Amino acid sequence: MSTYLTRFTLRQRVEHVLVMSLFIVLSTTGLPQKYFDTAWARWFINALGGIDHIRWFHRAAGLSFATLTLWHVMFAIGSVAAGRSPLSIVPNRKDFDDAIQMMRYYLGRIDQPARFDRFDYRQKFEYWGLVLGAVVVISTGLILYFPILFTRVFPGELIPAAKVAHSNEGLMAFLVVILWHIYNAHLNPDVFPFDKTIFTGKISLERMHHEHPLELERLKQVQDIEEP
Amino acid sequence: MLSTLLLLLTLSAPPGQAAAGKTADVETCLACHGDRSMAVTLASGETRSLYVDLATYRASVHGTKIGCADCHQDMTAVPHEARPFKTLREFTVAYYEGCKRCHFDNYTKTLDSVHYQALARGDRTAPLCVDCHGAHDVKSPQKPKSQISRTCAKCHEGVFAVYNKSVHGRFLEKSDDVPGCTDCHRSHDIAGPRDANWQRRTPELCRSCHENKRLMDKYGLSTAVAQTYVADFHGMTASLHEADSGREVSVVALCTDCHGVHDIAKVNEPGSRVLRANLVKTCARCHPGATENFPGAWMSHYEPSWKKAPLVYGVQLFYSLLIPFMISGLVLQMLLHFWRVVVNR
Repeated sequence: MSTYLTRFTLRQRVEHVLVMSLFIVLSTTGLPQKYFDTAWARWFINALGGIDHIRWFHRAAGLSFATLTLWHVMFAIGSVAAGRSPLSIVPNRKDFDDAIQMMRYYLGRIDQPARFDRFDYRQKFEYWGLVLGAVVVISTGLILYFPILFTRVFPGELIPAAKVAHSNEGLMAFLVVILWHIYNAHLNPDVFPFDKTIFTGKISLERMHHEHPLELERLKQVQDIEEP
Repeated sequence: MLSTLLLLLTLSAPPGQAAAGKTADVETCLACHGDRSMAVTLASGETRSLYVDLATYRASVHGTKIGCADCHQDMTAVPHEARPFKTLREFTVAYYEGCKRCHFDNYTKTLDSVHYQALARGDRTAPLCVDCHGAHDVKSPQKPKSQISRTCAKCHEGVFAVYNKSVHGRFLEKSDDVPGCTDCHRSHDIAGPRDANWQRRTPELCRSCHENKRLMDKYGLSTAVAQTYVADFHGMTASLHEADSGREVSVVALCTDCHGVHDIAKVNEPGSRVLRANLVKTCARCHPGATENFPGAWMSHYEPSWKKAPLVYGVQLFYSLLIPFMISGLVLQMLLHFWRVVVNR
């Protein structure tokens, strides 16, 4: 028995690498479009071969991201339907209690942090933030891509509204990832410099004790986990 | 050495400065050329009067400044030696470059013009200095300003007729505020209308007047037209293409693509391409398949507000609240977490 547990399947790890790569491409080709009248954006757009090229890259990456999201959602629905999903990512009452408890712990009101199961409230927040954000950017992105099609049914004002939503949602996603995700996965003293779990799929028992004690207890009931 | 230099400078001084002596020549020449019947017939059969009206010449901008031989430099012997020109045009083409001896800067500009390109291709009808400015009767070209456009109209008759009915052209005779031909096309270095680099600078051209607050206030027009254009998809693309000189770029609507070029109309007059009733047709020129709702995608140079585009304004407001709320919340959470970890250690 090793001192490591498998936390993520190969599919989940591949999905993460893909979403990460696409996020980088979408941010670097999207933000210069939002801030096109700044000197850095003009320099960057020119360096990448002009606005027409940037848009092509952005749309190609956007369509790939939409495909990936669709695949992820279909797979999740399939798993739930087949009864194979533990639904461990679904937010519940305990997450709100945990958030309040952690806030009190941070402020020094109580001595014990909340004890988490497979995903803590921050991870659920980030996952659902990504899913909801994806729904917004993909739908508004498609509206911007096919304005003639959408205005056959919807009022024309939908197009500029979609543009505002798309660029702001993109900016927010970028800021959340830069601040929140980089902190949690890199700068957080608990994992510094780099939380490798999402790439290797493995997590140490020590971290399980510390970060996901309830999950570890559950696992111990169904499988033989030997403490070192 | 210094005296040699001074001598050279004196000899090469522009003719205008030696005016007094030269203008006296005019009388000498007019001893013959003051004869109304004096004429020459060329090999082509064209007859050219050689009469010069003294009053007309004196009234011209050159009249009291330069003399006949300043332009007709090779007419020294009397009687003048025979010229090889078979047609009048050949004579003009051969002589028009005389202007550059004084007007070198403007002559140089013409070398970049679409007119010179035509001449270089061998088109003898391409306009030369004297075709626009005249010869013995050269006047200040812009007195009145409308005179410039009427000069262009001598050849560009069709375009002028269209322009004359436009919102700009209708006021040409009444006001110097409206653009005449050269305000957009420039005068000496006139670019061809299909020159890509000139075309992509169209918004800049319109902006030079339509962002002038003093001028637009006079006519109750908004100066936000360029800014709102650039804030939208077309204007953003166009402003990036402006910097892309030399690169092959996609087609994007410039001011003139919606508003028209020479036929530019007031936005609310019946023929206007941007009138709501005509807008679908205007959009469909680039967006085939555009239906009734499609033009609503363009906010007609308005900034989003509750009155104009409430949906856009609402979404904008929502994010302007959500983003700071979200980010400050996350930063707070991060700082608290970090603080606790450090304290625990």
